[in-house]
Amino acid sequence: MPPATVRTARTTWLKQAMSFGVDTAPPLVFRDVDLKERPDHPDKRFQLTVEAGTVVVAIGDEDSGVGDLGGWALGLRRPPSGRVEVFGAPIGALPYYDLLLFRRRIGYHPVGDGLLQNLTLRDNVALPLRFASDHRQAEVDGRVNLLMDDFRLRSVALLRPAQANEEDRRRAALARAVALDPDLVVLEAPFDGLTSRAGQDLLDRVSRRPDGSRRAVFATVQDLVPSVRKTVQRVIKVADGAAVEEAP
Amino acid sequence: MTAVVAAIGRSGARRLSVLGGLARFALGAFRAAGRLTRAGRWVTLRVLINQIRFTALQAAGLVTFLAAILSFLVISQTIRQLGRVGATDLIGTVIVVAVIRELGPLLTALIVVSRSGTAIAAEMATNRVMGEVTALEAMGIDPYIYLVLPRMLGAVVSVAALMILFDAVALTSGYLAAALSGMHFPRYSNIVLTTLGAKDIWLTLAKGLVFGAAVAIFPSYHGLAVKAGPTEIPQAVTRGVVATIVAIFVSSAIFVVIAA
Repeated sequence: MPPATVRTARTTWLKQAMSFGVDTAPPLVFRDVDLKERPDHPDKRFQLTVEAGTVVVAIGDEDSGVGDLGGWALGLRRPPSGRVEVFGAPIGALPYYDLLLFRRRIGYHPVGDGLLQNLTLRDNVALPLRFASDHRQAEVDGRVNLLMDDFRLRSVALLRPAQANEEDRRRAALARAVALDPDLVVLEAPFDGLTSRAGQDLLDRVSRRPDGSRRAVFATVQDLVPSVRKTVQRVIKVADGAAVEEAP
Repeated sequence: MTAVVAAIGRSGARRLSVLGGLARFALGAFRAAGRLTRAGRWVTLRVLINQIRFTALQAAGLVTFLAAILSFLVISQTIRQLGRVGATDLIGTVIVVAVIRELGPLLTALIVVSRSGTAIAAEMATNRVMGEVTALEAMGIDPYIYLVLPRMLGAVVSVAALMILFDAVALTSGYLAAALSGMHFPRYSNIVLTTLGAKDIWLTLAKGLVFGAAVAIFPSYHGLAVKAGPTEIPQAVTRGVVATIVAIFVSSAIFVVIAA
């Protein structure tokens, strides 16, 4: 059981983080983060702020540590040093059930697709709405229908992930990531195996909210094709443990 | 000498740690029921119905067959032996105490463990290895609610229902064995009903609850504890099933002490 002061602080962070439209903290901040347990360049730390409504892509080699950023942003793992703040809350410090609740403000696409193999693509998209929201069944069905149309999944809705092709699986995983209309979406290697046109199309759909405004998107990739770069506001190259700004 | 004591201590501490982990896991699974969302309730109900179909309906044939054979053998042999000393009235005690109170629940639970316990452990371990558990947590979904709770409820309902089925078949089959030895139905039913009490009914229900929860919780715990990769799945299944069998026998002994 944590001391009372720590509990109070955590509760305050959660309240602040869950207060929609009130807090002005940026969606995602990496502060003084070491990308590895034993950094090659101990004097360099990773710093990055993802502002609201922007699409930021971090590019890096497999051993650059870029692949860990998504897990840290979700609080699935903690960085060796430094801290990660999501909507002002140090996500790694939240207790487990607060963290589960908090993650409903964040959409996530893991490496691969993370789809549940025993569910159809439609049920995969419906999953967060059914278990992580208090919508009625009819509301869930309505929202899922919109997502299936928006992500062009209607014709493959009843296929299981193993029966669908890679692009449809990716579409379903991304539709699931935005199902709860999150303020921030974290994508890990979202364009792998997609054509540049499909990648551009999907990134556009993920960053667009139902009311027409844009949500913050943070993607980690090993490579970024020029056509997708056009839809990105910031490109960060992760090199030698630090973030280097590149032209989009 | 010190090394031996240290090794025993380490082993004991490891086992205690597993027990503590299991207790926390079981508590988490029970508490998850209170956090179900509205739409989640419908989905959980659907998964629960499926679980009952796999666990209870598909095992009903095997349970019926084994209950009939076991009861027939026990009663045939008992009547033959007791008949020599003119104590055939004691078959009521044998069928109620041995078959219905002890062997029935044990055998039913073992059937469910061998069919569904293995499936639950393998499914949970696969979910973990494929990254599906992490995906659920990343979506803000409690894996207890989505994975463990419906299986636990399904196993409890299924084991209790199969125990009742086992008892009904055992009583019928016991009558067939008695009839073949020349005992008429009024006498058989009189002997059985005199011995059968309310205690046997609540014991059956309580065992269904405890054994059913064990059938889901132990395999789930060991399945979700997999970390290394697919090669660990068979080991997790074995650990889950062995732990469930031990738990069922230990709790059966505890029931004997409580009911004495």
